[in-house]
Amino acid sequence: MQEPLLRFDDVSKVYRNGVQGLSHVSFSVEAGEFVAVIGPSGAGKSTLLRSINRLQDITSGRVLIRGEDISRESGRKLRAMRAGIGMIFQNYNLVYRLSVMQNVLHGRLGYMSSWRGMLGLYSEEDREKAAALLEEIQMGDFLNARAADLSGGQKQRVGIARAFMQEPELLLCDEPIASLDPSSAKIIMDMLSAMTKRRHMACLVNLHQIDAAKTYAGRIIGLRRGTVVFDGPPEALTDAAVETIYGVPASELAMKECVS
Amino acid sequence: MMNRQELYVCRTMAGILLLSFLIATYYTGFDPMAVLLHLGEAWTFLTEDFLPPRFQFTPVILESLAVTVALAISSASVAAVLAAGAAVLGSELLSPSKALAAAVRGTATFLRNIPTLVWAFILFSSLGVGTGVGFTALVITSFAFMTRTFIEVIDEIPAGVVESLTAVGASFWERIFQCVFPSCITGFISWYLYCLEVNIRSSTIVGMVGGGGIGMVLLSYLKAFKYAEASGIILMIAVIVILVDRLTDFLRKKAAE
Amino acid sequence: MDSAQNAEAMTAPHGRQGGKIDIGVAGGGHFIAGFLIGAAALTAASLALLGIDWVRLAGRAGDIGLIFWRMAHFTLDHVDFTLLSFMDTFSIMVLATVYSLFLGLAFGLLAARNVAGPVIAPVVKAVFTFLRAVPTPVWVLLTLVCFGFGPVAGITGLSVHTVAFFTKSFAQAFEDVPEDTVDALRALGATRLQIIACGILPSAVTQLIAWTALRFEINFSECAILGMVGAGGIGFAISAAIQNYDYGEAGLAVFLVFLFAFCMERGFLYVKKIMK
Repeated sequence: MQEPLLRFDDVSKVYRNGVQGLSHVSFSVEAGEFVAVIGPSGAGKSTLLRSINRLQDITSGRVLIRGEDISRESGRKLRAMRAGIGMIFQNYNLVYRLSVMQNVLHGRLGYMSSWRGMLGLYSEEDREKAAALLEEIQMGDFLNARAADLSGGQKQRVGIARAFMQEPELLLCDEPIASLDPSSAKIIMDMLSAMTKRRHMACLVNLHQIDAAKTYAGRIIGLRRGTVVFDGPPEALTDAAVETIYGVPASELAMKECVS
Repeated sequence: MMNRQELYVCRTMAGILLLSFLIATYYTGFDPMAVLLHLGEAWTFLTEDFLPPRFQFTPVILESLAVTVALAISSASVAAVLAAGAAVLGSELLSPSKALAAAVRGTATFLRNIPTLVWAFILFSSLGVGTGVGFTALVITSFAFMTRTFIEVIDEIPAGVVESLTAVGASFWERIFQCVFPSCITGFISWYLYCLEVNIRSSTIVGMVGGGGIGMVLLSYLKAFKYAEASGIILMIAVIVILVDRLTDFLRKKAAE
Repeated sequence: MDSAQNAEAMTAPHGRQGGKIDIGVAGGGHFIAGFLIGAAALTAASLALLGIDWVRLAGRAGDIGLIFWRMAHFTLDHVDFTLLSFMDTFSIMVLATVYSLFLGLAFGLLAARNVAGPVIAPVVKAVFTFLRAVPTPVWVLLTLVCFGFGPVAGITGLSVHTVAFFTKSFAQAFEDVPEDTVDALRALGATRLQIIACGILPSAVTQLIAWTALRFEINFSECAILGMVGAGGIGFAISAAIQNYDYGEAGLAVFLVFLFAFCMERGFLYVKKIMK
């Protein structure tokens, strides 16, 4: 039996202050899947994503990438495994003083020798590829713009280009649209969906908008207090299922979202 | 309006200040009126002995001026490079270990809270007088000062930016050179320039006690009661300090653009 | 590192001409690259001018460790002298800062454009810019000549620079008070003094406190070194002890200086945190 792209095997995370981040989480993701992770804030959505590329360490269990346990790797091997996993952040997390191109090319750092990376000596091939990627996300006019000067939606597009520059098999998106206005959010989600599909890439997206999750995802994972309480296709996400995830009826949830 | 805690702190501070003031006045017997009464004499003395200033542009004086400026520039630059490295190790965000970060910050605090001239004296007693020792004393305090301020600059990098490079698999050095330094360079430059301003003044003083430079010349004139020459030197120092302040102000504004 | 990229940015044309794609910020970064290169060149020139004998310096570096070792073993033979010297330093610092605070407030108002007007303010500023440009110990040397050895010389000498510092920073704080505040009071028919007392001073008070706290720290370290240029205080105790090879005594005095400066820094940090 071939190992799946990503497999969580009984993963638990307890924070130092005693808070249970994840509790006995097990699931797996195959190449090409577009998975939305939903749940109330504090349910462990970020912890789940960040334990995949080891931005956070887990307490017990295994996180397997193509059968290799990333939670046990360190040094060069860990860097290499991280290089194969793209990540997009809520706050974009670009190096704002650098240009758009320099930020996108950062996606290659995990593949380069450390001193070439330090000095920013990217190969001509990488530069061509970065420019092509920026063209693909309609940022071709901004190659030499300073990242700080872009709008929120444009910054997130640069974040996407940086992640795709890694040519990852797996893409992690931590609340990619939470800081954006509705129209930019739609553009970003459309891009993510189309680009991952074209490359047959697996994608895990943390979302707090249930509607967006239903529209874009092929599969939804619901987290509550660090435990997976729902795992299935969007059609199976009934109002009752939403209530088990959020602890409140779906109708009240909609109201809550309106207020916030 | 102030809350109770703030009010309490304000009152305590005012109390400490008043108490210190009374103790100090009692201890020294300082009477500001007496100073005012003597001010007339002091003024006569200043105007008669020090004015008009006598300017001398002998090679010795010009070289001393150059040495003072060179001491300030070179010590600030060397200290800045060292401090950039120390700040990386001393920032909790980047440091390979928390214990190391605490050690670096503790060392910087210790070095910084002892004045430059005290360092100079300690070093003179082991290394003898000379520009090398003045240079080292200036480097110590500049290094400690910039380590602290550089750490503050690093801590101002928005949360998650460095992490995003960790996520792409960048190595420690790639994170430092591709993310930390580009994000912090204008902040570093601004503090470096500030340190340069301070160092111009300090290097004059270090010179007085044996570090070489214009301070030594000034002290020798004062000791020989050549007050007109001394005031000439003082004016030269003032002009250089003002010029450097103007220049650093200009550069700081340019760098922030 | 940045300079490498920027050097490239300067030679390579932007966009995709010439085969190579430029990755730097368009039209940016040149200043910083130039600055770094300029600073490096000036530093190299400075070091060349100083002509420091590095080998000799490094060769005797071991002696520093020895001195520190000796200094770390405090001796208490002259502890009374050290403590009295410290009291001198403390008193001079407090008195100079407190008196300068009041003078600085007065001159700060005179140097603020929105208080004293466009004619007086620049003149006052220029005078104090000059006073500030001369380092404190130089002033102390002058006041020593005028007033003779003793705390009066220390206090007045230290005050010259401190008043100049306060004048500049307070004037800045007053000028930062929004014009609306002043206009609103003027519309109410307030006199000039009322505007200052009820509008400008209260608006600037947090900044004034911050500057005063900073100056207390600076003045302590300035005051600690005055003894080394011929005035009294803890600096004299340190230099005298070192010249007598009494390192244990010097170590104790240096430690006192450090301890006081450290406590003051921590104290002000704590206050700053609360006032936020």
